[in-house]
Amino acid sequence: MSFDTIIEMRELARYYEMGGVTIKALDGVDLEIGRGEYVSIVGPSGSGKTTLFNMIGGLDKPTNGRVYIDGVDISKLDAYELAWLRCRKIGYIFQTFNLIQVLTAVENVALPTVFAGVPRDEGLETAEKLLASVGLGERTHHRPTELSAGQQQRVAIARAMANDPAIILADEPTGNLDLNTGMEIIDLLHGLNKTRGMTLIAATHDLKMIKASDRIVWMRDGRVERIERG
Amino acid sequence: MGLSEASGRIKFTLGDAFRLGYDYIKRRFNRTIINMASISLSIAFLSTLLLTDAFYRAYALAGGERLGVETYQYWLMFVALAVSVVGITNAMLIAVYERYREIGTMKCIGALDRHILLLFLVEAFVQGAIGGVAGFLLGVLGALLSAGFTTGFGIVAMVPATEYLLFLGGSTILSIVLSMTATVYPAFRAARLNPVEALSYEL
Repeated sequence: MSFDTIIEMRELARYYEMGGVTIKALDGVDLEIGRGEYVSIVGPSGSGKTTLFNMIGGLDKPTNGRVYIDGVDISKLDAYELAWLRCRKIGYIFQTFNLIQVLTAVENVALPTVFAGVPRDEGLETAEKLLASVGLGERTHHRPTELSAGQQQRVAIARAMANDPAIILADEPTGNLDLNTGMEIIDLLHGLNKTRGMTLIAATHDLKMIKASDRIVWMRDGRVERIERG
Repeated sequence: MGLSEASGRIKFTLGDAFRLGYDYIKRRFNRTIINMASISLSIAFLSTLLLTDAFYRAYALAGGERLGVETYQYWLMFVALAVSVVGITNAMLIAVYERYREIGTMKCIGALDRHILLLFLVEAFVQGAIGGVAGFLLGVLGALLSAGFTTGFGIVAMVPATEYLLFLGGSTILSIVLSMTATVYPAFRAARLNPVEALSYEL
């Protein structure tokens, strides 16, 4: 299968100074990710996976190198444009779900549409549909504390899709879930990738998640160690 | 897709901020109550003094003895207001720490620094407004208890309604200003949080 490129990283590096020592979180990463591709990023903790995610989302600035999304060098974007990018083009899924505790499931899912300027009713309607599509149509008005871990992650997935982004960044999405629930989440993400054509990039240790992906990027010490076809 | 899409603008209106702020106030009601108590007690102190003086004036107009509020009591009032400001700053800083991850998450889904700032200031506004009204009502009670035994409790009807409204408006505005002033520093800290650090923060 071939994909046209949606994300391109060139000589990407991120160094931190910590107590006089330079830590190379990323040390020259060259990587292209295709539109609609499902890529797993695998590596020991500290290998630079999260830093790589932060770079793609424009949450962190590279020390060297460039990230292009749809051909746009995101280091050239201002704060507004970066916020727009994160809001409309990228959906985040976290290991710890990170739902807003004071909001109900449907309000959590609708939150990205608020920032996108979608009228409230329309946003809530979209959120209801998305919750139904992740199998939570019956629990739209529950708060995160009233939902199981797996259900919370489903809400988080629905939230990530709220503005129909081109890219989903999932950082250890099954890391806090038991085996069966993790499987369900993997199937759900994989299904979204296939049916909606969303580019899915997942940092993971989960073998089942790795197996489902189109490509596997192995990272070590801030570099791409090797790339495998799934 | 492409660059043209990146030129769109993020929106977060005052109405959105109020709606979300309301949810935070409602769901974290205990903290809100503590903040509102802090501000309303100091406003109650202020209102008690001012209304006591108003009662004494009305009493003098009706032919009674001209009584006054002691200067040192006004000084105590300023101390009370300052203490409540510091208390609110402290409580709001804790609220910021509690919401580290949520602030990071909001920035991930499109929030700008000023939206986070707005959210905290809206909460401070609501706390201040409610605390101000509550403080005024407590102040009426306090002034009656402090002056009523000398002037008679009927004095409450001898102060013109416009004066009450003036005191109510004044103490509510002061309360809002104090609450928002106390929240400026915590709100700025929240707004300037680096999302990368905020998301990796373990409470």
